[in-house]
Amino acid sequence: MIQAFHLTKVHSSGVKVLDDAYLSIPEGNFVAIIGESRTGKSTLLKMLGGEEKPTSGVLRIDHQDIYSLSTQEKHQWLSEVGMIFPDLRLFPDKTIQENIAFVLQVKGASGEGQEEAIGKLLNKAGLGSKAQAKPVDLSSGEQRMVLALRAMIFRPKLLLADDPFQGLDEKAAAVLFKFLLELNKAGSTIILSTQQMSFLGEAKKMAGEATIQWVQLDQGKLVPMEEA
Amino acid sequence: MNFISRLFFVFKEGFLQLFRTSGLSTAVIVIVAATLLQLSLFLGISRVLDRALGSAREKFEMALFFTPSADASDRKRILGILSADPRVASVKVVPKEEAIQEFRKDPEIDRMLQALGENPLTDSFTVILRNDATENLNELVDQLKKDPKIEEVSYGKNEWETVSNLTHVARWVGLVLGGFVFLTALFIVSNTLSIALWARREDMVLLSRMGAPTWMRWGPYLWEGITQGFLGSLVVVAFLEAVRHGAGVALQKFGGFDLLLTLPSSEWWSLYLTLVFLGMILGALGAFLALQKKWVKELQ
Repeated sequence: MIQAFHLTKVHSSGVKVLDDAYLSIPEGNFVAIIGESRTGKSTLLKMLGGEEKPTSGVLRIDHQDIYSLSTQEKHQWLSEVGMIFPDLRLFPDKTIQENIAFVLQVKGASGEGQEEAIGKLLNKAGLGSKAQAKPVDLSSGEQRMVLALRAMIFRPKLLLADDPFQGLDEKAAAVLFKFLLELNKAGSTIILSTQQMSFLGEAKKMAGEATIQWVQLDQGKLVPMEEA
Repeated sequence: MNFISRLFFVFKEGFLQLFRTSGLSTAVIVIVAATLLQLSLFLGISRVLDRALGSAREKFEMALFFTPSADASDRKRILGILSADPRVASVKVVPKEEAIQEFRKDPEIDRMLQALGENPLTDSFTVILRNDATENLNELVDQLKKDPKIEEVSYGKNEWETVSNLTHVARWVGLVLGGFVFLTALFIVSNTLSIALWARREDMVLLSRMGAPTWMRWGPYLWEGITQGFLGSLVVVAFLEAVRHGAGVALQKFGGFDLLLTLPSSEWWSLYLTLVFLGMILGALGAFLALQKKWVKELQ
């Protein structure tokens, strides 16, 4: 359960990107935040990922204020969080297979059949032939897809995806969205942000019966899409 | 299983990092080797001095001269006192006739003794003391000196104390200099490892954002430091083995390593183990200090 009250963020430049925002996301929900660039979507996701402290307000995840956790508690909490952030990168000296397996090892989730599972996932993403390639041999779109797979492979309790479709062609974006829906169906809470309004219609069709909360960031406040 | 897998990750990453920043790794190995080479000299000489002191202790004896009036019963009485003393290992009776034979071996003294005409020496005891008796002999000496039938008690207390004090001073000087060398090396190693950390700071951030526990984020760097320290110590062990097996003479001009040649095999191996241990400690401490830097902590 994610809850935010009176969430405000003022950047050092004086720009207020979040203004007394409220947020309540029950466990297992799928929330999509739509908005133009520079409206504070990334800031909000970074806050939820424990990387950007709010200027004021309370942010609780599973009834804990994540900014009052000790370093050890924070890392424990982060081990259950998957992130698809634009500033994350792949390890350049590891193969694609190793990059994905690595996160399982770090999170203590590696086990038998791991290679096969990664292989299947890469095949579904159309990257089966690139398993043994190094990141430098992949296009930026393919790299972003691998980053997304790395964040999803361990079935995180919470997945934060900041503009995950950026740099992906329509087909790859659709594959990724399908992965996100499957992950949500398996129980993960997903919060994604995107500025690609054109994607909205297609995504709504793909979601089908799946419940997605569509939210817009409007003047620093989170507003349900129907009201926006 | 997962813990073992994560532990394996720490060792593997630490080992791979040696090659990722091979230039810096080589620099650390060279610094560790140079430091341990100096420390091996301090440690080795300290061991040589210890052995010399031990050898001096083994030869530690006391001479006890009787007055001309002392007779067989007096010698028997004193022998009884000495035999009962736990500080005494054995007592050898030296009659004055045997003692003068020793003196006559020197032609100069022999001429003087002939001029005197009679044996001026008295009977004496040579008392062999136990190795551990050197620290507390004054009481026994005082007791013997008070005996009216004993003319003189002579033992090399002063000489032994001088050797002992010199060894003590040498050990402290070695310890201080060695400590200084170690600390200087620690400073250089930790700063060199921080450069390696800086080169891989993005990896550190990634691990942190993945929620890797502290031991998993720090482990590879600590293991890297330990491995570098180990490799540095191996270089020194190889050098000292070369010295030990004949290269000593050729290497004399590079420092007093030939001094160590008097050490027995067991001492060499003990010295090697000490050096390997110190090398690994130096590497581990260097990496630990590098990880304590403010900017590294901010990455996490």
